[in-house]
Amino acid sequence: MIRRTGYHVAMGLISFLWVAPILWVIVISFRSFDDVAANGLGSLPHSFTFSTYKSAWEDADEFRALINSLLVTIPAVLLSLGLASVAAYGLARYSIPFRRTILLLMLMGNLLPPQILLIPISRFVELIGYYDTLIALIAVHVGFGLGFYTFVLHGFMRDLPREIQEAATIDGAGPGKIYSAVILPLTRPALAALGALSFTWIFNDLLWSITVIRSGEKMPVTPALLGLQGLFVSSWNVIAAGTVIAAVPTVAVFLRFQKHFVGGLAIGAVK
Amino acid sequence: MTALAADRRTFLKGLGLLGAATLVPGCATSSKSPGSGSAASGELALQSNLSSEQAKAAMEKLVAAYNKTGGSQVKLNTVASEIFRTQLPTYLTSANPPDVYTWYAGSVADSYAKKDLLLDVSSVWDSMGNYSKAMQTLSTSSAGQKIFVPTSYYWWGMFYRKSNFAKWGVTPPKTWAEFVAVCKTIQSKGIPPIGIGLGDTPWVASAWFDYLNIRINGAPFHRQLLAGQGNFTDPKVKAVFTKWREVLPYFDPKGKSFPFQEATSALLAGKTGMFLIGTFFADSAPKDALDDIDFFQFPIIDPAVPVAEEAPTDGYFASKKVQDVDGTKKFLTWLATAEAQEIYVQNSSGTAIPANPDGKSADTPLVRKGKAMIEGAAEITQFFNRDSSDALQPTADAALTKFLDKPDQIDKILADWQAAAQKVFKA
Repeated sequence: MIRRTGYHVAMGLISFLWVAPILWVIVISFRSFDDVAANGLGSLPHSFTFSTYKSAWEDADEFRALINSLLVTIPAVLLSLGLASVAAYGLARYSIPFRRTILLLMLMGNLLPPQILLIPISRFVELIGYYDTLIALIAVHVGFGLGFYTFVLHGFMRDLPREIQEAATIDGAGPGKIYSAVILPLTRPALAALGALSFTWIFNDLLWSITVIRSGEKMPVTPALLGLQGLFVSSWNVIAAGTVIAAVPTVAVFLRFQKHFVGGLAIGAVK
Repeated sequence: MTALAADRRTFLKGLGLLGAATLVPGCATSSKSPGSGSAASGELALQSNLSSEQAKAAMEKLVAAYNKTGGSQVKLNTVASEIFRTQLPTYLTSANPPDVYTWYAGSVADSYAKKDLLLDVSSVWDSMGNYSKAMQTLSTSSAGQKIFVPTSYYWWGMFYRKSNFAKWGVTPPKTWAEFVAVCKTIQSKGIPPIGIGLGDTPWVASAWFDYLNIRINGAPFHRQLLAGQGNFTDPKVKAVFTKWREVLPYFDPKGKSFPFQEATSALLAGKTGMFLIGTFFADSAPKDALDDIDFFQFPIIDPAVPVAEEAPTDGYFASKKVQDVDGTKKFLTWLATAEAQEIYVQNSSGTAIPANPDGKSADTPLVRKGKAMIEGAAEITQFFNRDSSDALQPTADAALTKFLDKPDQIDKILADWQAAAQKVFKA
């Protein structure tokens, strides 16, 4: 019993350590600027205000930034998972020549550090006339996610029993029908997990948005948060409020898919 | 447990509704976005890094005022200063770059002129005959063309709280000996005399290097050193650090761990005595403390050296690839007027001083004093990175931070600094 209590106390303390920075941000987000300036970021709050949320929302235009983020994230997730599942279906269920090579080639792209591709991508996007558009950003995210998603889905689809597909073929279903009516529904757990993961990855991306987008009004929420920082002086309370707002969509997705999130981590771990 | 799950669901349902509501107008606006990125003819794109709330609002007012005068309409595009800094080379080299940019005068502008990326604005300067000689020099490229239009500057000084100085019984020092005496007195009250904030903002230490160098060796030596024509292992540079060591015990030991914004809070709360900083720090001060803030000029060390002050100058330059050259020059000419600069100064934090000598600055004792100090200076420098390059700044940050930690290793630190600087100058 004592050991159990000790365990809980210790684990409680450790969890608190994890949560503390988040709590700190939330506390700062309710403090006024003069309070932060006079007492420092680290002090206990001497004020309480909601105005930080108002200025993050209105002055910093976080509303528009969130819409931009969703306009990028949702199509990018749907498109990359859709394409990846088709590719994985073909590679996993049919004996296409060189399919191993194709898969490895797709995965190889993910092994490159994205930083070395920044300049080529920014130049290429400009060349084809899509610089400073959300479409460019979606395309970049789809391109980068595709290799990894295909690899994961391939592993999952390969392990579906052969007999199901044979039964469907006997019933007269073509490859397209088998994909949409048999394989895709069976892949749902993997798709949900990947969907949740890719949503957070794309939503939280900063690097690509500032590489292909130049107009302030088209920036997604992560660079918009950066924009709350001034050249020298930053209103940390407003930034904290903005961060809390920006975290809401990812937290929502996490709550909805939390089961799959954990499951997603184990995809491909055990055959 | 079930109750919790139900709560989670309702929360999500609410969010879903919110999300659906936001998507409706979102779709309507998104269809317009492709293709509208570049400025159409008759419209000028102004790329601004002034992203803090007040400065952004001031820029919006400035642009609105210009657009009312007729001519090309200007479209302001504000991006985070950090993004702007890293992306500026990309903007300038892209096929369809923004037209006008906020930036800094001096070698940081010249580095782009050397790559032939900037518009020659010599004709704009025809209307700027009343600008000081120093401003002209700062706006001229190494090829002898005017490439920059300065609009405002600010100053650096040793800031303190008047009430605290009165409480401690000290008066602002003028000479180095008086300064050391003030430090001793403040320390005897149990307060660290000199505040500094180097965590995240290590460049703040460069102000000390700049000022000690221009006070001991003079501005011409300082400029040459930063331009790569000197050597950091020079005994004259070492003399700077010998002087610095005299006051090193008076620095706030906590200053290494927090950024300058926190150091400002420490100064205002009376936890440190003085702070060598630029006027932009006032933006991070609570409004009620502002009346109590004053500054004194960095103490004179060698009266034989002509007095120089740091006055970083801000303004605009334009891309070489602008479509509407006349419209761009017209806008820049307007930005150089006293009227335009007053609009900006009145609506921003108020510590910036118009670059046009006819422009009125904010009428506060602090700004009057700062303006008088700069106008009385024999020489003007800007700041370490602005007088050298953004590439040289990290070498200074590394050297100065190390010096503050281990002042006795100065010879090795200076040798390392010279080696690092050599690489930057050769690149």
